[in-house]
Amino acid sequence: MKESTSPAASNPLSAISDKVNACIQCGTCSASCPNAFAMDFSPRHLWRLLQAGEVRAVLASRSFSLCSTCYSCTLRCPRGLPLTDIMSALKQVGARQHPMQDPSGVLFYRNFLESVRRHGRVREMEFMTLYFSAMKNPVLPFQFTSLGIRLLSRKKLPLELPSKGSRRLNALFCKVSELENTP
Amino acid sequence: MNRKAGCALIVGGGISGMRAALDLAETGYGVTLVEQAPYLGGIVSRLDHQFPTNHCGMCRMLPLLDRESGSQSCLRKDLVHENIDIRLSTQVMTVAGDAGGYEVSLREQPAGVDRLKCVGCGACTQVCPVEVPDAFNSGLSMRKAIYPAAPYRVLNSYRIDFSACTRCGACAAACPTGAVVLREMERKQFRVLVVDDELIVRDSIREWLMEEGFDAEMAGSGQEALGRLGGSAFQLMLLDIKMPGMDGVEVLKKAKEIAPQINVVMMTAYATVETAIEAMKTGALEYLIKPFEIDVLMPMVEKRFAEFMAARDEKIRVGAIVLAGGAAFYNPAGGKNTLGYGVYPNILTNAEFERLISNAGPFSGRPVRSADGKPISRIAWIQCVGSRDLQAGADFCSGICCMISIKEAILAHEKLGANLATDIYYMDIRACGKNYHRYKEAAETSGNVNFIRGRAHTVVQDADSGDLKIRCVSVSGAETETAYDLVVLAAGQRPHPDMALLAEKYDLALNEWGFAETLPFSRIRSRKQGVFLAGSFAGLKDIRESVTEASAAALAASRSLHQAGGGIAPVPAKTSTGARNVSREPSRILVIICSCDGMLTPHLDAADIEHRLKKDPSVTGLLVFNRICAGPEMEGLIQEIKSRRPNRLLIAAGAACADKVRDAGKSAGIHPALIRVAEIRSPAFIIAEPQASNEPARIFQDRMRILIMGISELKYAEPESLPETAVVRRALVVGGGIAGMSAALAIADHGYPVDLIERSEKLGGNLNWIRQTLEGHAVGPFLEDIRQKTEKHPQIHVYSSADIVSTWGEAGRFYSAVAERDGAVVQLEHGAVILATGGGEAPTQLYGHGAHPAVMTQKELEQSLQSNAVDPEKLESVVMIQCVGSREAPRNYCSRICCQTAVKQALYLKSRNPAIQIYVLYRDMMTVGFSESYYTKARKAGILFIPYTLDNKPRVDTGRSRAAVTVFEPIIDQSLEIEADLIVLATGVAPDFPQQLAEIFETERDADGFFQEADVKWRPVDAMKPGLFGCGIMNAPQSIPDAVASAEAAAQRALGILSRQSLPAGRITARVRHSLCSRCRICIDACPYHARAWNAEMERIDVNAAACQGCGACAAICPNSAAVVDGLLMPQFLEMIDACF
Repeated sequence: MKESTSPAASNPLSAISDKVNACIQCGTCSASCPNAFAMDFSPRHLWRLLQAGEVRAVLASRSFSLCSTCYSCTLRCPRGLPLTDIMSALKQVGARQHPMQDPSGVLFYRNFLESVRRHGRVREMEFMTLYFSAMKNPVLPFQFTSLGIRLLSRKKLPLELPSKGSRRLNALFCKVSELENTP
Repeated sequence: MNRKAGCALIVGGGISGMRAALDLAETGYGVTLVEQAPYLGGIVSRLDHQFPTNHCGMCRMLPLLDRESGSQSCLRKDLVHENIDIRLSTQVMTVAGDAGGYEVSLREQPAGVDRLKCVGCGACTQVCPVEVPDAFNSGLSMRKAIYPAAPYRVLNSYRIDFSACTRCGACAAACPTGAVVLREMERKQFRVLVVDDELIVRDSIREWLMEEGFDAEMAGSGQEALGRLGGSAFQLMLLDIKMPGMDGVEVLKKAKEIAPQINVVMMTAYATVETAIEAMKTGALEYLIKPFEIDVLMPMVEKRFAEFMAARDEKIRVGAIVLAGGAAFYNPAGGKNTLGYGVYPNILTNAEFERLISNAGPFSGRPVRSADGKPISRIAWIQCVGSRDLQAGADFCSGICCMISIKEAILAHEKLGANLATDIYYMDIRACGKNYHRYKEAAETSGNVNFIRGRAHTVVQDADSGDLKIRCVSVSGAETETAYDLVVLAAGQRPHPDMALLAEKYDLALNEWGFAETLPFSRIRSRKQGVFLAGSFAGLKDIRESVTEASAAALAASRSLHQAGGGIAPVPAKTSTGARNVSREPSRILVIICSCDGMLTPHLDAADIEHRLKKDPSVTGLLVFNRICAGPEMEGLIQEIKSRRPNRLLIAAGAACADKVRDAGKSAGIHPALIRVAEIRSPAFIIAEPQASNEPARIFQDRMRILIMGISELKYAEPESLPETAVVRRALVVGGGIAGMSAALAIADHGYPVDLIERSEKLGGNLNWIRQTLEGHAVGPFLEDIRQKTEKHPQIHVYSSADIVSTWGEAGRFYSAVAERDGAVVQLEHGAVILATGGGEAPTQLYGHGAHPAVMTQKELEQSLQSNAVDPEKLESVVMIQCVGSREAPRNYCSRICCQTAVKQALYLKSRNPAIQIYVLYRDMMTVGFSESYYTKARKAGILFIPYTLDNKPRVDTGRSRAAVTVFEPIIDQSLEIEADLIVLATGVAPDFPQQLAEIFETERDADGFFQEADVKWRPVDAMKPGLFGCGIMNAPQSIPDAVASAEAAAQRALGILSRQSLPAGRITARVRHSLCSRCRICIDACPYHARAWNAEMERIDVNAAACQGCGACAAICPNSAAVVDGLLMPQFLEMIDACF
């Protein structure tokens, strides 16, 4: 790998990577993270890539999408770094449709929120339908069949068809979009 | 020896305080050493072993010259020196005045046991019903409310823990000598007389007072009150104004006549307030308006009580103060992340683990898990607990925990066998002191200590087995979970718990983390004149640093006393003993036993003992007393000594009685060197058959042996000591860098001339090329100031462009030849030598140095920045490589300052041009102590730190126009290629101390070419050869303040010689029988103290009596018995051995 020596100005993640500058790579975050097993880069690895200015590698990673915001890393970091906040910030940058980003994470969050926007809470069946159709992968639903059956049997998956809903939260979502200055 | 008029106060009796006290005492100043705890030694007294020797060497601090001025035994047992006044369990209450004249008040916490009467039998401890956790053993065992202060002390130091004591009185009843004084409690001494005609008022006030612990009595009328005042002393009287018969004001007037010192507080109703105010004119202090509540009365009484106590405080005047109050350990239980400490029983801190494995600890050196008694087979250490942790408010490195944990792991292997597994979880192993890196390597290779780079965040206990699981991610990203029997947390340091209070008392500045702050370029100077800091009080020291800085603080105190005229007016030397000369008389020993009311000798048969002892014709008789210290028997004792005219005394008695007998002996004209105390209370021979040790017959046998041994030793003892060596009161300092100049100034400021030899033309050494320190202090002005002072000092003669050609002689009198550049040779005479030859950046040819202009050393970068040959504005990328040729053969040591230099330069470059990308390639970042905060700053500034290992070093490619470095980044798990405008190499420090120079001074170099000190921990600036000292970076790699401290320490050690007219020899000293000597000279090499030399002129071996420590190595090696040790002659020794059996 060739190290870019370009100044930080051209790095779209510089504001985020500044926050992990003080990281000492002790690995407390990685050992604390309950989702690290599923991540392609452990949290520490991700911070190191940020420090090294590896923008492409960071944005192509699905590690931050898998953060469940449990705050274990933030609680335990000996440097007191806002690691969970950094994960969230990366989610936002990723969600702004960076071509490098693995789409599954972004689409998952987007469709989850779409359901919330319509009904004020998530409707699991509707969310599943939206997510599967957005992923444009006909095989994908079958991969989740067994999970779906288990959820159904425990009455965790009410059978409701997708609908437009009341959209009473629409104003709120519009305001947030406006604040985030996204189209 | 002469005692100078000046006195110093040392606050804190840990090793720093002891070192500073001994140093000042050795130069003749009076010292008051105050310690809060009932024992000396501080934290170190609770550690059995110290790295890197894995032994204890505390006694090596004891004076080697004039060693009979103090005790010559284990310092854990006690410290005694004729110039040191030791105050245990004492606190400094107030400090007033300024440099040269501080008035200090001291208050001693009552022990509840009369030290002089206590014979240490332990009967009190056996009957005491109260058990509390033993703080000395970190709470791992229990002790009684009446207990010996520390397990090692020999003098009786039983005391009562008043916070636990229930005042049941069992101990007082059990004590055979009446040493327990329960009523000594302070509050009971504050007696209050309550005078009121109303019984309810009197009763309730009295009840309130008694509840608070005061002693209160009542009087129902003025007459009664006056009667009581006449009967006994009261400190306070609460006096009602309106009483039938005699009213309060009248009582007041009369009371003041009976007891003028009494404090009187008037009690009055609203109606008579004016009378009360009138009464204040007659001497009442205050008035209370009735009815009043307890919270109105008590603060007033407490205030009077505090004044009463303060008035009883002892006040002393001192010229200088050294604060050596130590530090505290971080308590993980109070932190954000407790790591299970305080929750799971098998998690300990470093300090607790030391007690767990201690021979004097709860398991007598055979530790098991204290909670369930399970054998220990796996132990983990977790480093940086409460250190390097911003969440714990600690952006600093505690500096010593890495070495403590390594040592504990090695000790654990020693105690628990080879099958033990020991893992140390660490971030950086900061083994950066002298020889520490080798110690760490030895632990890793031959000590089976396993080092795991990773930070463990949680310890989970298995509910069934009690084992502890640690989950951790290694550098490579592999996750591990390992179970341990015991987890030890390397808890960091914290400031002294009362630091805020102390800062106010002594007017100290505190740093960001609450440690006392020192002035720039100094480790010991506080902002207050005449107040100096030593040891961990100013933050984070190991023993070597503490001892060095304590000596430096002693120097500073001594300088301040000297400037106040302390050295000018000597107090007359102790008057000569007036003892008659007995060297021609046969030995006549009088044995005196004091039985302490039968305690000491429960099965005493005086006639039998006398019969046995008198088999030796040198014994003239035996006297048995009951309790000499009580007084009445004293007259009889003196009479007996005078009439029997013995010339030697052997005393078997408790400490107090022994002192009395000694005094009696001296007044009867017996030489103090011929009075001995036989320690018959400590069981000497019970190891072989412990079960039989309690049999009366056996105890009797034991004590007889000790008495006969004492007689064997004493009868050959000679009072005459060897002639003293006259001292040339002038010093030679070799090397004119910062260390050499500091040492020269320190000695010259005491009025002794100094010859300073500098090889180059200019004084200043390495400081000539250093711009500023990591902390941002400019070096130039500091250097200029020191240089000016050195060059202009009337007592310093600087020889620049000069070299030492030869030196011979010994402590007190050396002769040296100095060659100047113009060829002239100057002869110098001096009493001590300080070597400060310095060192420099090690040269290198690694990483393409010399092959490409972009590759330079840290020194070259510093110089290029100053000459503007390197312009930070034009740099895009800089790579710094640490440990170049360091910490691997052949320079297998850490140079300690290079990591800090790299951080300093990187931050400087970033400050000049924030766009520079800076990469620091390191093995362990050694930003030890408070410099850790600059490491944090550097990371925050975006400087990238990449660790590398010895088996995968970075590679530098200088084959193209822009040099590039390839380094493996273990976390990204890829090699990075970094193009760089500058590649800066940290090559470390190489000493400038060639073998030839070491030979000139008859001293040794260590494995790395540095000055070999007598003991790496306890005598860090002394050479084995007396009178020779080494400081600065020729001694060890160190920063500027450390070099100044070591130079001042060396100067203080040298002043121990220069402050004397002559060096006295010890009583036990080697001598040569020239007629038997075959001149084989093997004794010269055998002597570890360089006290023997070949006298070519007389063709014989000479012994320097002042340097000789009487160890006997020469006597053991001599094939002809020509080497003998006076005071321990062969027949004497053999008789003593015979007496044992």
